[in-house]
Amino acid sequence: MKAAQVIMATGNNAAALAVKSARVDVVPGYPITPQTSIMEAVAAMVENGELNARFIPVEGEHSVLAAAVAASAAGARVFTATSANGLLYMHEVLHMASGGRLPVVMCNVNRGIFAPWTLWADHQDSMAQRDTGWIQYHCSSNQEVFNTILQAFRVAEQINLPVMVNFDGFAISHCLMPLTLPPQEDIDRFLPPHEPGWRLDPAHPSSFSNVTVASEYAPFRQMLSDDIMASVPLVKEAAQEYKEITGMWDGDTIDTYRLEDAEVVAFAVNSMAAELRLSVDILLEQGIRAGLLRPRLYLPFPSEDIIQALPQNAQVMVLDRNYNFGHPGGILAAELKSALFGRRNDITVKNRVMGIGGIDLTRRFMAAEIRAMMEE
Amino acid sequence: MLELRINGFGGQGSVTLAHLLAQAALENGEQGQALPFFGVERRGAPVRAAVRMAPTTIHAHSQCELPDYLVVMSEKLTEAAVREGITKHGTVIINAPYAMAVAAHPTWQVDAEAIAREAELFSADGPNINIPLFGAVCRVLNIPQHVMEQTIMNKWPGASGERNLGAAGKAYNTVIQISE
Repeated sequence: MKAAQVIMATGNNAAALAVKSARVDVVPGYPITPQTSIMEAVAAMVENGELNARFIPVEGEHSVLAAAVAASAAGARVFTATSANGLLYMHEVLHMASGGRLPVVMCNVNRGIFAPWTLWADHQDSMAQRDTGWIQYHCSSNQEVFNTILQAFRVAEQINLPVMVNFDGFAISHCLMPLTLPPQEDIDRFLPPHEPGWRLDPAHPSSFSNVTVASEYAPFRQMLSDDIMASVPLVKEAAQEYKEITGMWDGDTIDTYRLEDAEVVAFAVNSMAAELRLSVDILLEQGIRAGLLRPRLYLPFPSEDIIQALPQNAQVMVLDRNYNFGHPGGILAAELKSALFGRRNDITVKNRVMGIGGIDLTRRFMAAEIRAMMEE
Repeated sequence: MLELRINGFGGQGSVTLAHLLAQAALENGEQGQALPFFGVERRGAPVRAAVRMAPTTIHAHSQCELPDYLVVMSEKLTEAAVREGITKHGTVIINAPYAMAVAAHPTWQVDAEAIAREAELFSADGPNINIPLFGAVCRVLNIPQHVMEQTIMNKWPGASGERNLGAAGKAYNTVIQISE
């Protein structure tokens, strides 16, 4: 049996290597900072023969996803990547991918959205796509990006839904870290070739996504809603089996740190949630019983797992790197309150918005913020 | 966890230096992280990069606000770099043509520019001071010279690596501690 290999890779490089390991067939691409180096690396792999795929350069993100949808409907395993305004430009076609039940996997390298322009990370871009019917993971390390892309293809193809794999621009995308690459035969065992039950095929003409009357349309939409919820056990199963095969674990729907007997629980996603482990250590040293709960899955929101995991009477400090416009605070806090209402009345939820447009979130700053929130 | 920040000017090779240091950590049997800050890049504008080394998984993803080690790519930046933040008795490593020390901080000095010129290591931006600085920082961090050399050869196999080895090795052996 071959051993895993450890290399140094940026988050974007980790994503490109996962695309190669997943033996993707089609990659439509258009550049946008900070995603661009994923597409550059994938295009180079196709060019030099490392990846037997079709790379399709197109004229904008709306067309990227249109090409992805078409290739997926033709039965290909499809990957693409984008960021911020590129994702917003795809918005209409995001609905086509989910409603059309097409298992496209896309990385969104999180970046704040205009106006004014910014290049750096916050989570307004991915969370603004909440209602498009995509499954959404949010990753907190380079290794998790690699692992999650493979898990995402597996889940997507099992339930015929598109999956978005989000991670922070620069803090992850341009951060060089050790990356463990499992042997390819292990990955092939985890992720078998894509065999769709249906595909567009010129040899056997059929129509796809025609105009429907309400009595046909409504059941399709109900099925979409039901299947998004039904992806939760598949996400867990994928994480568990990936662990059995590779030995690596990033959590399933959630990831926790020192949570068991915590009185104060930090709650956040992406790279700030990795840094928050160190904030928890600072708070523990100060005698505060702190812990961390990181939703790895943002959509479907892992309500049941959060309800099960939160200790009795905990104060949950939600640190949102986004705004929930029209409400005070952020989107994660609103999702969490909705999940807990009537189920866990012992829990107190407090919320602050921070780190917008890439403002640096240090362990000391976040520990101090949590202390201040305890006094509120 | 050891934290280090590089303060330099755009074009001096701070990103490559950060990458080399993170790769040296892995070569040395540890975990390494290089996290450059990417702004709107311009030659000559102040730039910074974070580097971390630890025996176990590194979870930090912020810029190093209070590093244990501060690498100053040009002596002109020393005051600004220290003012930006360093731990109380953190060590400063300065590229300078003359001996200089930062009050209350152990300070090391290396003439990286002279070493790069002597080794004829040039790019479009001038002498490649990041190569000798890599050697000097490895020495200060007690990273063995053979690990430093292997890291260079992994990155640039062949003749260009060999040329870099000479300059990095010279800096490794001539960087001097000015103050404690």
